[in-house]
Amino acid sequence: MNIAQLWSRAFLERRPSASLGLFRLAVAWTVGCHMIPSFFHMEDTYLATAFKTQNFSFFPAWILRLVEGSPDWVVWVWVVLFCVALAAFTLGLCSQASGMLMTASCYYFYALNNVHIGTLSFDILLVTLVLMCVTGYHGDFLSLDSLRRGKDRPYKHLRPFFIQRLLQLQVAWTFWYTALSKITGGGNWLTDNPYYALMHYPPMGVVRDFPFREWIGQSPTLCYGLGVSCLVFEFTIPLCWFIPRTRKVSIPLGIAFQFMLWATLHVPTIFLFLFPPLMLLFIQPETIVGWIEARRAAHAERDRAVLLYDGQCGFCVESVKRLRVLDLFGWVDPLDFHMQPDLTKLNPLLTPEHCQSEMVLVEPNGQLSGGYQAFARLTRRLALLMPLAVPAHLPGMDWLGRRVYRWIATHRYLLHRSPACQTHCQR
Amino acid sequence: MLRRRTLITWFVIGWTILFQYETLRASYLSPLVGRPLPKFPLLFPPAGWIMFYNVDNSYGFAEVYGIRGDEPTLLDPHAIFPIKNVGYDNIRRNVLVSVLDGRRAGNFCQFLRRKFPQYDSFAVVYAQYPDLIETPDRVLRQVAYRCESHAARQQ
Repeated sequence: MNIAQLWSRAFLERRPSASLGLFRLAVAWTVGCHMIPSFFHMEDTYLATAFKTQNFSFFPAWILRLVEGSPDWVVWVWVVLFCVALAAFTLGLCSQASGMLMTASCYYFYALNNVHIGTLSFDILLVTLVLMCVTGYHGDFLSLDSLRRGKDRPYKHLRPFFIQRLLQLQVAWTFWYTALSKITGGGNWLTDNPYYALMHYPPMGVVRDFPFREWIGQSPTLCYGLGVSCLVFEFTIPLCWFIPRTRKVSIPLGIAFQFMLWATLHVPTIFLFLFPPLMLLFIQPETIVGWIEARRAAHAERDRAVLLYDGQCGFCVESVKRLRVLDLFGWVDPLDFHMQPDLTKLNPLLTPEHCQSEMVLVEPNGQLSGGYQAFARLTRRLALLMPLAVPAHLPGMDWLGRRVYRWIATHRYLLHRSPACQTHCQR
Repeated sequence: MLRRRTLITWFVIGWTILFQYETLRASYLSPLVGRPLPKFPLLFPPAGWIMFYNVDNSYGFAEVYGIRGDEPTLLDPHAIFPIKNVGYDNIRRNVLVSVLDGRRAGNFCQFLRRKFPQYDSFAVVYAQYPDLIETPDRVLRQVAYRCESHAARQQ
């Protein structure tokens, strides 16, 4: 394989973007967990009354001056923008644009005051966010964007692999350079015994009061050994992520290492929420696609549920398209009831009148449900609808849902412009 | 298609060079050329990936005392910055040391007067364990600056 082929395989090859869709959720969660708590005490963090420090080595002075002059109402506007952008990014609504707005908001608050959010790991998060803003590939899967496009099986959408590869390289380089800085250029992990010093940090220091801390702290030799082990781990584990044969072991080990860091030190939760998903990006996207396809095949072998809908209604046809996107594991098989010569073969209780009045779900065990009840059942079965399962079953939702559903079902021919609608509207 | 592949290739090369440059700039490249090299703004940490790279036996931190009459009271740092981060404690990450810089004294004093109006004045103290291992109970303290009351400032 020559260099051009290697390069193409590493960065240019079109591969499923499913991993980036999943990673988007992890990034959104991390950003939310890091930023939102700082909004709960605005008078102490960002408003004019707050104590502020600025990061002159990160931001050009003109940006800091510009941001420093923000009146309080501008700060509040940025809070709203951040929350809207974060919500849209999480849901995958205009993923790239919402990602850019969210990143811009993070930069704004970082420039305004870096006391509460500015850490080295936040810089890593910003690097990740900037990479995520380069393309909208992360909006292909698990997103409202994919729902809007309505393309079947969005997890198989092929995209150039370079963003995922750069994210993989980012976490590997971060590990290597962190280890390198500990032994060169001012680092003292070989010449001194930093782990031993950490074990003796005062109670209000960065080290948590974890089990065996005192015992470990009694032995300088053990501490030195643990410090060197950390170094060896940080140097070798990223290499193992790139080797297919060692990947299965090295990814869980890397995640366990991050968990150990978080459990023993007061490091920002970025270590726990961002680094493990970065490591999971080493799982080949084809593996994820293969796993989803295997689940679909398993459902196809068993009896699948059937959803009967009105195929002459454009609104219903469009809704079914979106349902196919939401039905990640192929649990339900949507059928146009007009195309079924004998509905009683599916279930003896079914009639064309019933199917005309509302969508009907026939589950593999024969259970029938219609209208809002069918929707509520689907929220418990379709993986991507599950976030709605709890709200859909709250007290009172059945009453409200039935009425909303009835209104939509009655007006369904008016809700979508299609030849079928026009025909029915004239009726 | 060719245009997109070319664009991606240039982006990957540019990003990689930038990443390596910013990682190595402060600790390796600048000493090598004997002068501080320029930093690429708005991206990458200023000194590279230096998490816990140098931990020695000493430990410095900040203390803030509220003073009423002649009676100093050590203020709970969690009351000074009450932000509850998810999953970690920023105070234990020593975030309070950022108040020690004398250039920020005016801003911090104003902040303290608003948050703790019950005190007449404040003292911001730099405290240090000189050797956590040999003398774990020995703490050296030095007043970094004082925040005088409005009345004292007017006199």
